[in-house]
Amino acid sequence: MSGKMNRRSFLKVMGWSGAGVALTGCDMPTTVTLEEGKEDVVSYLMPEEYVIPGVGVWYASTCTQCAAGCGIHGRVREGRVLKLEGNPDAAVNNGKLCMMGQAGVQGHYNPDRITSPMMRTGGSLTPISWDKALGVMEEKLGAVNGDRFAWFTGSISGHQSVLLTNHLDAMGSTNHYVHEVVNNAVSRAVNQDMLGEANPRLRLDKAKMIVSFGADFMGAGQSPVQYAGQYAKFRTNKERGLLVQIEPKMSLTGGSADLWLAIKPGTEAVLALGMANLLLNKIKISDTGIPADVRTLINTYDITKVARMTGVAGDRIQRVTQLLSERTPSLVLAGAGVEGQAQGYSTTAAIMMLNHILGNVGKTIESAGDFPFPQLMAKQGGTADLVAFAEAANAKKLDVVIFHGSNPVYSAPKSLGLTEAMANIGFKVAISQFPDETAMAADLVLPMDSYLEDWGTQVPADQAEANAIHMQQPLMEKLNAETKGLGDILLTLLKQRKKDDYGQFEDYYAYLRNAFAAMPTSVKNDAKSNDEFWNTALQTGVIKVDSGTKTLQSTVVSFAAPVVDDNAGLTLLPSPRLGLFDGRHANLPWLQEAPDQISKVVWDSWVEMHPDTAAKMGIGNLDLVEVNSAQGSVKLRVVLLKGMHADAVAIPLGQGHEAYGRYAKGLGVNPLQILDATTDAKTGELAMYSTRVTVKRVGPADSLSIVRMGTGAGDSQVGRKLVGTVPVEQVRRTEGT
Amino acid sequence: MSLDNILNHWSDYRKGAEEGGHHDYEHRWAMAINLDLCIGCNACSTACYAENNLAVVGKERFEKGQAMHWMRIERYWDQQELEHPEQGASFLPMMCQQCGAATCEPVCPVAATYHTPDGLNAQVYNRCIGSRYCSNNCPFRVRYFNFYSYYESSWPEPMEQQLNPDISVRDKGVMEKCTFCMQRIRSVKDKAFMEDRPVQDGEMVPACAQSCPTSAIVFGDTMDESSMVSKLWKKHQVERGVYQKTKLAKKDADLRGYRIFEELNVDPSVMYLERVREDI
Repeated sequence: MSGKMNRRSFLKVMGWSGAGVALTGCDMPTTVTLEEGKEDVVSYLMPEEYVIPGVGVWYASTCTQCAAGCGIHGRVREGRVLKLEGNPDAAVNNGKLCMMGQAGVQGHYNPDRITSPMMRTGGSLTPISWDKALGVMEEKLGAVNGDRFAWFTGSISGHQSVLLTNHLDAMGSTNHYVHEVVNNAVSRAVNQDMLGEANPRLRLDKAKMIVSFGADFMGAGQSPVQYAGQYAKFRTNKERGLLVQIEPKMSLTGGSADLWLAIKPGTEAVLALGMANLLLNKIKISDTGIPADVRTLINTYDITKVARMTGVAGDRIQRVTQLLSERTPSLVLAGAGVEGQAQGYSTTAAIMMLNHILGNVGKTIESAGDFPFPQLMAKQGGTADLVAFAEAANAKKLDVVIFHGSNPVYSAPKSLGLTEAMANIGFKVAISQFPDETAMAADLVLPMDSYLEDWGTQVPADQAEANAIHMQQPLMEKLNAETKGLGDILLTLLKQRKKDDYGQFEDYYAYLRNAFAAMPTSVKNDAKSNDEFWNTALQTGVIKVDSGTKTLQSTVVSFAAPVVDDNAGLTLLPSPRLGLFDGRHANLPWLQEAPDQISKVVWDSWVEMHPDTAAKMGIGNLDLVEVNSAQGSVKLRVVLLKGMHADAVAIPLGQGHEAYGRYAKGLGVNPLQILDATTDAKTGELAMYSTRVTVKRVGPADSLSIVRMGTGAGDSQVGRKLVGTVPVEQVRRTEGT
Repeated sequence: MSLDNILNHWSDYRKGAEEGGHHDYEHRWAMAINLDLCIGCNACSTACYAENNLAVVGKERFEKGQAMHWMRIERYWDQQELEHPEQGASFLPMMCQQCGAATCEPVCPVAATYHTPDGLNAQVYNRCIGSRYCSNNCPFRVRYFNFYSYYESSWPEPMEQQLNPDISVRDKGVMEKCTFCMQRIRSVKDKAFMEDRPVQDGEMVPACAQSCPTSAIVFGDTMDESSMVSKLWKKHQVERGVYQKTKLAKKDADLRGYRIFEELNVDPSVMYLERVREDI
């Protein structure tokens, strides 16, 4: 082990843990506790409060690895957080935690964390003191006109969001850009228009059949652990749920489908309209509530035309539609690949219309009620704000911008011209844990606590069972003395502007305690005192909030007819993955070393193509190719996969970092860079899944890190029963499901 | 077991397994993994890295097959004749199967791998001399060899502070593998011992099963007949023992439970439940 850190305590625990392994055959307990009077084995001259050497204690907090906001328990031993697990009290994840959540400790202990404030002097970032950094902030923020000031963040909720909004108010600004690459912004807009709620509760567990148009709800979606849990119920219900996944690139969710159908990218609306046509005109479901223009549009999509345009066989479409009409309630979902089209809103609306026709609203799509604290609710991001921000920066409308929780310099397509436009912003502040691309472009970098060192509250946007506020508390002392929490930084900035209002709070902890004391008694339940309420909240990590019950009203909005280019060539799908996600986790070695679930590649970028498409171009597996769009090109290796439509190529997101520490920098390519800046007319969201590309072979096959299959020979089971598959009829007979 | 030992006692050893084993077991830890619920998400695998101090080897070494993923998700494509895999992918969580008649055990020249009274194939790291015979003999390929010391490369400061102090970090030249989270078993058994009671079903949960978002992995003691895992094994008519016995036990061949490479007579402790697909 390396020498400097806590070597003594480490060796102490190693000493008797070694015994734990060596004595496994022995009946005597090897756990030695203070109570047994064996202090000499693990001695602490002055044990800290609540610390029993050798005994791990689990504390509740909230995961911030993605916006899902799962509740966690962190195991703390000898003052260090060692392992994270799901908090069973959190309905969102029900005690479970995904790979990204598990790897949270690697962000916390990451060797590439920023450990001191840095300011750009003479072209490079040099360390300065917090006093000086905050002094510069005060000066710059005091001088800027509110209109020319902005916050640029990722999705944010809870009291941090309250303080951030209050800071914008204090600055006289309304410029809060909220950016998420992996988002459901278009679905939210459609839901708002059709259901009156942006985030209704999706109940996969109540559905008998799910038809998912590229919704990777168990993978890189909005709340993967929650929906995977619902999926498990869906599959183990008395009547086993049936999953049909329709998408041009097999997602993690698609890997579990009963029927996976490849669809030509950009034709999902056509298929949805074709299915609506069958439901209304052939199966004769009532068309109540469908506007006349949409009804006319539906009639023009007969099955032959739909099959030709989408590339999905007509008999398949009929069968799936027939089953949808029989197995009610069902659930039809639209995913990122559908939302991120040039006609994203219309396509998503056409798909969501199927839920209206099938009567799923109110059964598998429920109202989330009225969350009593709208200020705490999540401000969810999308890409429209990235586009708007790039425009504002290009038009020199911004002088001071504070960045937090988002990395636009990495994730903005080159075609938005953001990298150059950053120079137009006079003073850029990055509040960041890591030296990512945006922090490296900033004028002032403020080092942030990890989420395991910081206070906070989170309100997950997707809460299917009950609404709750999730608590975030420090699980250990700060690793670096010079980092600060987001709440503390916000409070300091507010004190600079509004001393009278915020001067009373010594720090963010004090602010939170006050905020909790001021909570309505309805939320405090039976707590006898503010202290008791606070302590209970910390212990359970979850504050349940009654949001009442509401009934959703389903209406169908008018939407534009699909525009399909039959000769589009290849469409590039920049596919997010559970793991590296949108690139934010590329600096976590566990996630780099965890194979992509479908292609099984590690530590690299690759482009996925159907073998037939590749063969036509003379491209073989693992060949080096160049993928060209109108905006630029990337070079990488090909992985041939049959879970691809012939007209699609997919480059998974996450790699291609030019900064971001030792694990991320210089690996692979970033497909976001070569996307067109096309946007959806209705929502302004980037059409991330509509860029046309050509692929050219530039080099021979070479090695690529692909996980070595142990028991099988690569992709095939070669006739051995490694994974057995049985038809559902057989299981109905044997297990009665 | 030395070569002499193998030559002299091989048939006794095998016979022992065939007749129900030659151990006085205290527990027989086992798993039931429902492949119909496994979505291949890697949560288990990453949880295993976090729990068991697994080294990250990096791109080049991974390419050479030196990765240390004790719990890995294999992904197979069936229906290879079709244009598209219409029934999705076949995911297989694969870890040490803790065989009752393990092929890794008798070949170790220094008895670094041995059978515990818990029914586990334990690896004594400081006895291991790195012959790799065990790995060579494992039909599941779930033994991982430390070709290097990973202290510096895998845990640069302050990453080492995350290491689980309940188990050791392995050094160059040592074989390692899934232990069914032996450190957790140890602490659960100790707790039960201190409280003078048997270990309860559900008390012992390995890191993989704990994290699984779909609860596809059920862990427990097959010697405890009331345990969930026992009930599942029984329900699917999968029995401990060697092929002839287990073949006879399976009266309804349509039940989903099976053990991988049953025919090799290694008596794995992991029962898988077949994936289900509705053909539409």
